Amino acid sequence: MDTVSTEIEQAAVSSKGLLNFEFRGDGTEYFKIWIVNVLLTIVTFGIYSAWAKVRSNQYFYSNLYLNNSNFSYLADPKAILKSRIIAILAFIAFNVISNLNPIAGGVLLVLLLIAMPYFINKSLEFNHRMSAYANIQFRFKASYGQAAMVLFIWPLIGVLTLGILFPLAILKSNEYLVNNSAYGTSKFSFKATYKDYGMIFLTMIGIAIACALPIAAISYFIPEMSILSLLLMGCAYFAVIVYFVVSTSNLFYKSTSLLDHHFDANLTMSGLTKVILHNLFFTLITFGLYLPAAKVRVAKYMSSCLVMHAASDLEGFSAAEQENVSALGEEFGEVFDFA
Amino acid sequence: MFITGIYLDGKTSKRHKVRLLAVNENEPITFIIDEEEQLNTDPISCETLFSLAFSQLKITPQLGNTPREISFGDNELFITEDNNGISQLIAIFSGSKSTSILHKLETNLSLVMIFTLATLAIVWASFVYGIPKLSETLAYQLPEFVTENSTSSLDLLDATLFDPSALDESRRQHIDLLFLPYIQAHARLKPKLLFRSGMGANAFALPGGEIVFTDKLVELAESDDELLAILFHELGHLEHKHMLRRMLQGSMVTLAVIFITGDVDTFDLITGLPTLLVDLSYSRQFEKEADRYALDQLDHFDLPLDSFAQIMQRLDRDKEKSNTSQRSKSDFFSTHPLTEQRILFVEQYKNELQAH
Repeated sequence: MDTVSTEIEQAAVSSKGLLNFEFRGDGTEYFKIWIVNVLLTIVTFGIYSAWAKVRSNQYFYSNLYLNNSNFSYLADPKAILKSRIIAILAFIAFNVISNLNPIAGGVLLVLLLIAMPYFINKSLEFNHRMSAYANIQFRFKASYGQAAMVLFIWPLIGVLTLGILFPLAILKSNEYLVNNSAYGTSKFSFKATYKDYGMIFLTMIGIAIACALPIAAISYFIPEMSILSLLLMGCAYFAVIVYFVVSTSNLFYKSTSLLDHHFDANLTMSGLTKVILHNLFFTLITFGLYLPAAKVRVAKYMSSCLVMHAASDLEGFSAAEQENVSALGEEFGEVFDFA
Repeated sequence: MFITGIYLDGKTSKRHKVRLLAVNENEPITFIIDEEEQLNTDPISCETLFSLAFSQLKITPQLGNTPREISFGDNELFITEDNNGISQLIAIFSGSKSTSILHKLETNLSLVMIFTLATLAIVWASFVYGIPKLSETLAYQLPEFVTENSTSSLDLLDATLFDPSALDESRRQHIDLLFLPYIQAHARLKPKLLFRSGMGANAFALPGGEIVFTDKLVELAESDDELLAILFHELGHLEHKHMLRRMLQGSMVTLAVIFITGDVDTFDLITGLPTLLVDLSYSRQFEKEADRYALDQLDHFDLPLDSFAQIMQRLDRDKEKSNTSQRSKSDFFSTHPLTEQRILFVEQYKNELQAH
């Protein structure tokens, strides 16, 4: 009980300035929760999966701390189960109909594409609403048009301009995500430029060329070493992906603010590479049993890289009005694999 | 007893240090504001927030070492990290040590070990027996219209990979005539022979019954019996509905992986590799089944079994010539079994026949 009060004391002292995110979960502890989830899901033929999802999300949200207060996940498993059943039935119906009559299937596919922005909005709305910090829920509200632009139009423009405007598509999708999010009644905002994302893409191309030249040289001059060049190619590909994840995540948090509070992230390529290789190795040699611990490790690393520059203490936020929101968008997205 | 924690009113994010006080089951629970932590020294100056009956509180079940939340009233919340205190509180009012069943399961080490072994056994059994068996049953149960829809996949292949066949007319007629009795013997599978060029020596069976021979394969074969061996292998794929079964098994594996891992997005790399390996192992099983079917048919029509081994060797040498990269010694990453194994299988099959 004493530790609780000293922690609260620290919170009061440090509630201005630099605030750290911290993940306090533990791999072994989560493994036990996960294995119970998996077995119950199997023996109930998947019905328990809704409860498993909630329990697992609760574990990750409740262990994420900012300024010594934790986040929480509020979704009701029954709502998720209901939506999951509807989504799976719709998926089966879609497959049967498109097999019976390819034309009807095509029409359905077009309808599904038209409905996609709506479902993505609903899914984000649900996930935000079910997340809370200090007993205040997050919110998301975006128009159909905004979602459609981000989902179809900007990527299309990116492709039509041979990738030159592709960084803009990513910028627009982050703007859509952040600018439409709110914590209680306070809105988030996202400020990054086309140049920021363009530089990331240019660097990626630079890394790719810098790696491709020696690899091409090796396989041209010493063909017997083709295995080596294949291996190097894999490494180069991995490096480009890690660079992309690190730089876009850092940029994402740097560009996000909530009122006068700003965020910052300092993921590094070496840090993330270590986490990924460690997780990959142990997951493979344990036939997947390391998976839950791997997930904890990723959460620990990500939150350790994340800070908030608070302009004042975090006690002045107010909750928004209550509204009901269904889990259907989220589950539709998962089953049809687009969210 | 008392529990130290934080009170949040649900309207703002302002945190209040609060103590929850419970005396016995007949008295209400009181929440006392304790901002300066002077409750012990100067209790009179502390303001009582409110008093509530135990039944008005909703307490979250224990989950690992995460903080416990007590919600009440209009979205109001009391958060504490004092899990023991909450257990005591529940014990006072409900008379039992009612920790949730889930938490009991999750903290019992021997149960967790049994669960782990059971899960591994179930997953292993369903990947090795369950999924193949289920998809086989399904494949034979599915109405024809579902399975016969492969004209579109042939169109797609024609548009992307294939070119029209460049074989001369007499060679094609010869093969058509050669295959005719055997195709008629398999009329129930509705096989339809097609020739295409545009890729290496290969043959395919599409679920609708189309069997495609590439020009290079026809040129590679040095006898009619070798071509028949290939035809029987492809008829074996049709007979056992392999294309459909592989598709069904693939989606079942994906579904199982999603259920087990909980979410897919974060672990594409880690779950992707095992999924691929499982799919490849299913593919190799189907090839073995088709090989056996080919040998059965060769034997049935009194054709030399060695023709199968010969065309396999020819295909292998052909691949080696066109492919400069080193051949792997294991079939772990391959859709087909190794050629040596397939030839060995022919020998085993011959021995089996002699034994009878």
